[in-house]
Amino acid sequence: MIRIENLSVAFDGPEVVKNVTLELRDGEILGVVGESGCGKSVTALTLMGLVSETARVTSGRILFDDVTLLEAGKPRDKVLYRSYQGDQMSMIFQEPMTSLNPTQRVGRQVDEVLRLHTKLTPDERKEKVLESFQAVGLKEGDKVYSSYPHQLSGGMRQRVMIAMAVILKPRLLVADEPTTALDVTIQNQIIALLREINEKQKNAMLFITHDLNLARKLCHRVAVMKDGCVVEQGETEQIFENPAQDYTRKLIEAVPSRVKKHKALNLATGIDEPVMTSGATNISHRGVLIAENHAVTEAAPLETAKPEAPKSETAQSEAANSEAANSEAAKPEIANSEAMQSASTQPVLTQPASIAPVVQVRDLSVYYQDGSNSLFGRKRRNCVVKGADFALYPGESLGLVGESGCGKTTLSKAMLGMIRDIEGQVVHNTVRPQMIFQDPYSSLNPTKTVGWLLQEPLRARGAIDASLVMSKADMEAAAYDMLHRVGMKDQYFHRKPSQLSGGQRQRVSIAQALITNPGFIIADEPVSALDVTIQAQIMELMQKLQQEMKLAYLFISHDINVVYKMCDRIMVMKDGEIIEIGDTEEIFRDPKEEYTKLLFSNS
Amino acid sequence: MMPNTPSLKWNKYFLAGLIMTGLAVLLGLLGFFWTPYSPTAMSAERFSSPTLSHLFGTDNFGRDIFSRVMQGMGTTILISTLVVLISAFIGILLGALTGYFGGIIDELVMRFTDALNGFPSILLALVVISVLGNGRQNLILSLGIVFTPSYVRIVRSEYMRLRDADYIKRARLMGVGRLRILFVHILPNILPVFWVSVMIGLNNAILAESGMSYLGIGVQPPDASLGNMLSDAQGYLQSAPWYALAPGLTIVWIVLGFSLFSEGIRRLGE
Repeated sequence: MIRIENLSVAFDGPEVVKNVTLELRDGEILGVVGESGCGKSVTALTLMGLVSETARVTSGRILFDDVTLLEAGKPRDKVLYRSYQGDQMSMIFQEPMTSLNPTQRVGRQVDEVLRLHTKLTPDERKEKVLESFQAVGLKEGDKVYSSYPHQLSGGMRQRVMIAMAVILKPRLLVADEPTTALDVTIQNQIIALLREINEKQKNAMLFITHDLNLARKLCHRVAVMKDGCVVEQGETEQIFENPAQDYTRKLIEAVPSRVKKHKALNLATGIDEPVMTSGATNISHRGVLIAENHAVTEAAPLETAKPEAPKSETAQSEAANSEAANSEAAKPEIANSEAMQSASTQPVLTQPASIAPVVQVRDLSVYYQDGSNSLFGRKRRNCVVKGADFALYPGESLGLVGESGCGKTTLSKAMLGMIRDIEGQVVHNTVRPQMIFQDPYSSLNPTKTVGWLLQEPLRARGAIDASLVMSKADMEAAAYDMLHRVGMKDQYFHRKPSQLSGGQRQRVSIAQALITNPGFIIADEPVSALDVTIQAQIMELMQKLQQEMKLAYLFISHDINVVYKMCDRIMVMKDGEIIEIGDTEEIFRDPKEEYTKLLFSNS
Repeated sequence: MMPNTPSLKWNKYFLAGLIMTGLAVLLGLLGFFWTPYSPTAMSAERFSSPTLSHLFGTDNFGRDIFSRVMQGMGTTILISTLVVLISAFIGILLGALTGYFGGIIDELVMRFTDALNGFPSILLALVVISVLGNGRQNLILSLGIVFTPSYVRIVRSEYMRLRDADYIKRARLMGVGRLRILFVHILPNILPVFWVSVMIGLNNAILAESGMSYLGIGVQPPDASLGNMLSDAQGYLQSAPWYALAPGLTIVWIVLGFSLFSEGIRRLGE
């Protein structure tokens, strides 16, 4: 029904879409997958007639049924397009925040679609809007109808967007990363909804995503794009089971899945460095998981205290649960301290006291000032993290998972002293723990060179402690050394961040955090903003450095698979509380809390 | 349909601005050392219309208008540059401190700048001058005070935006000192925005200086400034229109040049 033939699109400069041929039949869901910048969105926007005016179609054409919508060399026929846009084809965008008009009630915005394309009376229209709200799973349709976008959650907004897109039962639905901005649990609901709509309305759907798992779940056929070209297309299962192209295979392998954990990824690691195999595990807890028969000798000190603690803790907190009436905040603390006590008295343990945690968090509650910041503004004090209580040991990765807004980032900031309004205690046994942020584009000062950035921590350290002052040559040498350790070449030393790719920037961020050898790093979604292949490289780099430098990571992520791959233990957070903590394998095999099960089943 | 490439676009703005501004600045600077005639020398040749020997004609005292425009241009540009330097410097200091630290100092400074903004700027400068007395230095000082609040605001909002940037958070975690964060880490990042506001400020300062001199508060006769020339010429608009046109068009020339120049810089920044 839709045919894109040999489509090439260029802006000023080279073609960003090259000879793309796609076919879409009624009722079919075609996934277009690829990494950012591969041209998938431009293809979709061109198909919809929404691509910016500066784009030129240099070859090919687009057919809707047998009508030529667009042809190379001819200007876009806006009138023709308008007769298709809306009722024949419609689109769902990634960002539900910005795709609804914040100044209008959502009911009116959906209503507008009907007003433009049908001749229904206002009452009929309203009825139809409410019906569509029901169809996309929005309860209390009346309430939603008269709400403003900011009063709805991200998931609800996306449902409204979908209602708006499908209310006229378009024959073609283009969904551009419709779930990327959403939490995992919501993501799955939206995917299920899209499938349901597809089954009911029998419309053709072009589903654009960078997430191969999603494409696999939803799509009948998949087209893989790279550098503007379709490198492979075919039935979903066939592509995933038996990819014909190297690039496809690479993409599939790069997706962190639970099975992959034990294998070293056979992707090229660094930009410049040879693959670093993770054979030399000696201090890591993970070493134990990989080869369990080595466990006794190799990782004994770390093994001792930890696996016991979570078990007894959960047991304790369950007991506390049944007793009820116990204060929520106090619970984990009691549980954990008792667990620690019992651990230290157990004769089995060889040297529990000698392993000092890198950081010990005791009954930590974090508060946030809410409300206006002005002279006479009234302030509210919200408790964002309640009674967090845990410890992190040298060489260990502790995963922190939970949905956005659950307090993960707040907890980590409080641990680093970036939020002062806390109750409880954070004890560090390292100097200046550092943090790696999610967005590689905002975590490096754009006006400085890589070399300057890498030396700055050393300068700062020298300014605080005169005994640590280093000569210029020493600092430069240290910076070069660190640059090499994160797998980058000398030539990047004098570049500015704007001249680096996302993955390279994240490498520099890591190098900058590690150059003073802090021993403890908080990584807040360090790979979430990166493409899958880069994601795998960065994770591998972090693991390599962890072993080399005996680092402890607090690894924050919403991506359960990433956490599974990286972490020895996992903490699950919900509404500011740590509801479950335990060994990675164990928590995956047998999650205690309902919420944890939900979180894991959704990914 | 085919748009120009961005680089070509800013090149045009930038080049036009550069040429216009450059010409004005060169002539003005030259005016301090050499003019075709002495700008204050009177002659019997009153109200001569533009000729080859007097490019812009002569005024009511028979002085060469071109020479006076050259001198006036120099004076105007010098005064407005100093005004902008003073206000931009204070603006960076106050803006950085208030924007980064916030709190009570921020409140105080901002309410004070609000109060300054509450008065029309020329009126405020008049008040300052009437307290300090007439003269060039006082003109510079008063205009400097009047122009400071806008820089404080611009710099402050940039600092507020950047103080929570990830790379500044990380600098704090590394233990970088506060002053170093303020002026080594953040300052270079606000320069693109800052330069544009400096250029716009320069324009406003030129207009303000001309306005003040026109009112007779700035540069005192017999020294020439574009403003006091305009005010002198006002009485002879009918009989000697070139007298008013020369300083008037010069002001337009300079202001337009700086506008194009700053637009060019802004596009360069993008």
